[in-house]
Amino acid sequence: MITIYQAAKVITMNPSNPEATHVAVRDGIILGAGSLQELAGWGDYELDTSFSDKVILPGFVEAHAHLMAGGMMLLPYMGYFDRVRGDGSVAPGIKSYEALINALKAEERKLSDPHEPLVAVGFDPIYFPDEARLSRHHLDQVSATRPIYVHHASGHLSTVNSAMLAANNVTRDLQVDGLGRDADGELDGELREPPAMSLCRTGFSVVQKINNTDQAVIEFGAQACNAGITTCTDLGGVSLLVPKTLDMWRKHTDREDFPVRVAQYNLGIMPGDSGDCESFADGLLGLRQYETEKLRFPGVKFILDGSIQGFSALLNEPGYFSGSDHGQLLVVPDQLKDMLKSFHTRGINIHMHCNGNLTQELAIDAVDKLLREAPWFNHRHTLTHAQLTTQAQLRKMARLGLCANFFSNHLWYWGDQHYNITVGPERANQLEPCASALREGVSFAVHSDAGVTPLGSLHTMWCAVNRVTPSGRVLGEYEKISAYEALKAVTINAAFQMHLDDEIGSIEAGKKADFAILEEDPLAVDPMHIRDIRVWGTVLAGRKFEAASAT
Amino acid sequence: MIPFTVIGGYLGAGKTTLLNELLRNANGRKLALLINDFGEINIDALLIESREDNRINLSNGCICCTLSDGFHAAIESLTEAAPDQIIVEASGVADVHTLAQYGHSPQLQLDGVIVLADAETVRIKSKDKFVGRTIQRQLAAADIIVANKMDLLDKATQAEVISWLETHYPAAVICPAINGQVPLHLVMGVHLVDKAATTDSGHAHFTRWSWQQPAGVGVEDLQQFLAHLPPEVLRLKGTLSQPDGTRVIQVVGQRQEIRSAPEITAEGLTLVAIGVEGQLECAQLDQAAGRFFKPDP
Repeated sequence: MITIYQAAKVITMNPSNPEATHVAVRDGIILGAGSLQELAGWGDYELDTSFSDKVILPGFVEAHAHLMAGGMMLLPYMGYFDRVRGDGSVAPGIKSYEALINALKAEERKLSDPHEPLVAVGFDPIYFPDEARLSRHHLDQVSATRPIYVHHASGHLSTVNSAMLAANNVTRDLQVDGLGRDADGELDGELREPPAMSLCRTGFSVVQKINNTDQAVIEFGAQACNAGITTCTDLGGVSLLVPKTLDMWRKHTDREDFPVRVAQYNLGIMPGDSGDCESFADGLLGLRQYETEKLRFPGVKFILDGSIQGFSALLNEPGYFSGSDHGQLLVVPDQLKDMLKSFHTRGINIHMHCNGNLTQELAIDAVDKLLREAPWFNHRHTLTHAQLTTQAQLRKMARLGLCANFFSNHLWYWGDQHYNITVGPERANQLEPCASALREGVSFAVHSDAGVTPLGSLHTMWCAVNRVTPSGRVLGEYEKISAYEALKAVTINAAFQMHLDDEIGSIEAGKKADFAILEEDPLAVDPMHIRDIRVWGTVLAGRKFEAASAT
Repeated sequence: MIPFTVIGGYLGAGKTTLLNELLRNANGRKLALLINDFGEINIDALLIESREDNRINLSNGCICCTLSDGFHAAIESLTEAAPDQIIVEASGVADVHTLAQYGHSPQLQLDGVIVLADAETVRIKSKDKFVGRTIQRQLAAADIIVANKMDLLDKATQAEVISWLETHYPAAVICPAINGQVPLHLVMGVHLVDKAATTDSGHAHFTRWSWQQPAGVGVEDLQQFLAHLPPEVLRLKGTLSQPDGTRVIQVVGQRQEIRSAPEITAEGLTLVAIGVEGQLECAQLDQAAGRFFKPDP
C-alpha cells in the first residue's frame, strides 16, 4: 500500500532534490519526494492530507544523547531550566532556593510512606552564584523527618537533609574527604564525589538504579518523539554484552509503538572491565547479528575527560580563566592508540568524548598514529563535544577524516558561565566552532547530550544559528551558521557520523520513511523563533507518532 | 573494619607485578582485589579457580573483582564476602585521593595509599602535558611513595630522585625498591598476629620492630611517642587497652590514627613497626618507647 503525504512543504535535505510538496511511502520506505503528479506513477495510493498545512522534514537524528534523559525525568526535577517530560508535562525550572524548597515540599506531600526517601535530580549550583552553598539547613525546611537527597546536575555532588544523614548513620566523626562541613566541623549535608555521596546509600542507589529500567526506556522514547527525533543514540550504553540489558532494549524497540530508532554505542572502556579490547571489540561486532529495524550497534564510545563547567576537562594553554584546574583524563595516553586499534581494525566506528582541547589533541594524535598503522579511509570517527576545538585542530581533523559533534546547547545553558568564569571571552566566543568546521571542511553534527540538557533538535539547531546566551549576549558572531547548515547538523550529518546516512537523515528514494512533522518551516522563520516551532510529532517507518501534549 | 589499601601509580610503575606478587604471597590471608584498570588482569592462570560475572575466585581464597557496576556496588559486594583486606588497584590516571575516601566508609578502614613511581621516568612524566598534573596529584595523595626500578639508575641519580620526591611530596614517606620488587609489607601492612610470618617471598629488606608492655600506658603517652616517631618508620600498628575500651593505632607514612575500637580485646600495649633495612634503627625506637612508656611506679 502506498501512502502519499501532502505537506505545505517537504524539506528533503537531499541537495539534488531539495524541496517538494509530497512524499510517497510504501512499506516504511520512501518512494520519492516530488509533486503529486510525479509520485502518482508508483501506482494506487492513499493521499494523506493531515500534514497539508505542516512542514515535513527528515526525522531528526540525535547523535549524542543518553538513556539517562529518560531515567532522570522519572525523578522529581530541580534543574534551572524548564524540562518537558515524555507525557508532555513541563517540569518548571527552579530559579531560587525558595522555589526549590517549595517544589520539594510539593513532592514530599506526594509520598505516602513516611520512610521513603525523596530523591530529586537536576539541581545546578552554578546558577546561584549569589546564594550560599545549598546545605542540609535548606533541605531541613522541607522535612525534618523524611530523608531527602538532591542529586546535582553534574553528577559529582549531592546535598542531603539531616534525616538522610541520620538514616544512613553518617556522622561527623567519619573522615571521608568529600563530606561538607561548617566552620565547627559539623556536617552541612553536601556530599562531594561518589565516596561521600554513596555514604547516603538510600538516596544514592535510587539515582544509580533508575537508568537501566523499562520505564526509563519508555520515557526516553517518548521524549525523542516529542522533539521530532526518529533516530536517537544512547551514546555510552553500558553492559550491552550482558544478555539482560540487550533483551531489555530488544523488548522495547521491537514493539510497533516504540517511537524511535536507537543507535547504541556501548562504552568501550569501563574502569574495571575485565578482558582485553580485542575480545571486547569482537563482542561488539557480535551484537550486530541482533540488530533489528529499530535497534542498531554502529560503534563504540570512549570518554576521555571531564567537563568544562566542572573544571575537569583538560585544557591547552592558557588553561582555565578562573577557578582551579581539576583536569582529569579517563584514559592512559600511552594506551589510547592501541585501545582504539582493536575497534578500528574491525570497522567499528569510534566516538570519543573530548571536552577540553588538550584531550582533543590526544585523540587527534592517536587517530593520526592509528591511520598510519591501519588505514581506513571511511572511518568517520568522531570527536564528540569537541567544544573548544582550535583552528589548527580543525585543519588536522579535516585531513584525518575525523568528524565533530559539537555540544551547541552549551552556548545557551552555560554560555554566560563560560564567558565569565571558565574559559573567558575569546575562547567562549569560539565554543562549538560550527562555522570554522564548515570553512575547514570538517563534517559536523550538533547535539544535546540529553539528559545533561533536554532532547530537542530544534533547540540544538537554534543554538548553533543564534549563539545567544540567557543574558542576551551573542557568543561568537563568526561561528554562527545558517539554519540550513544547522538542519544538516541534526539530520544528514548526524547520520553520516554513524555510517547511517544511506538509510536515514534525508528524504530520498529508498531511505526509511522517517519524518519530523513541524508546524512551521525552520528555514523560513526568524532564526530566533526556530526553537519555538511546534513539533506535531513524527512519522517512523511510515507510522505516525503524535507528540504528547500536556492537558 | 576491613583494612582498605589503595595502590596507585602511572603506567609502567609496576602495579601489575605487585598485584600478582600479593596474590602469590597471601599466605592464608583472604585478599580482595579491586581492579580499576582496563586490560587483562594478568592473573596467574594456575591460581584461578572459577569465574563469575565480575569476579574471579582464586584457589588460595582470594578474590578479584572488577568495577563494571561502579565502585560503590563492588565494595558493597566485597564487604559481604568478608575479606581480610581490600586492595584497590587504581588505574594509571585515577584520582587516588578520591578513591582512598572509600576507605573511610563505616565498615572499612583506610590502611594506606601507596603510589608507585617509575624512578627512571617520574620526573619527566610529572611534567607531561597530558598526564603531568594527574601524576602530581597521585603522588601528593600518597602515604608511601615506592620509588621503583631504582636499579636502573646510577647512585647519583638515585639520590636525585629520592631528594626530588622528598622535596615535592613532603607528606609521604619515600621507599626505594629495586628490580621491580615492591616490598609486600608496605602493601599488606604489619599484622599483630602475622599470618605471613613464615615466608617473606625473598623480599627480606625490612627491619621489624615490636614492643609489648602489659600495663601502665595511657593515650597521652602514646600520642607523645607517635609525635617523636622517627621518619624511617613506614608502617606501625598496635593496640592499647584502656579502662574505657581498646584503642587501635595505625601509622602509614606520616598519617597517624588512634581510634576507639571497643569490640577488640587487648592487653596492655602492643606495637609493631617496619622500616627499610639499614634505615630504621630499632635502638632508636626502643629508646623512645622506654622514654614515653614508663612502667607503673
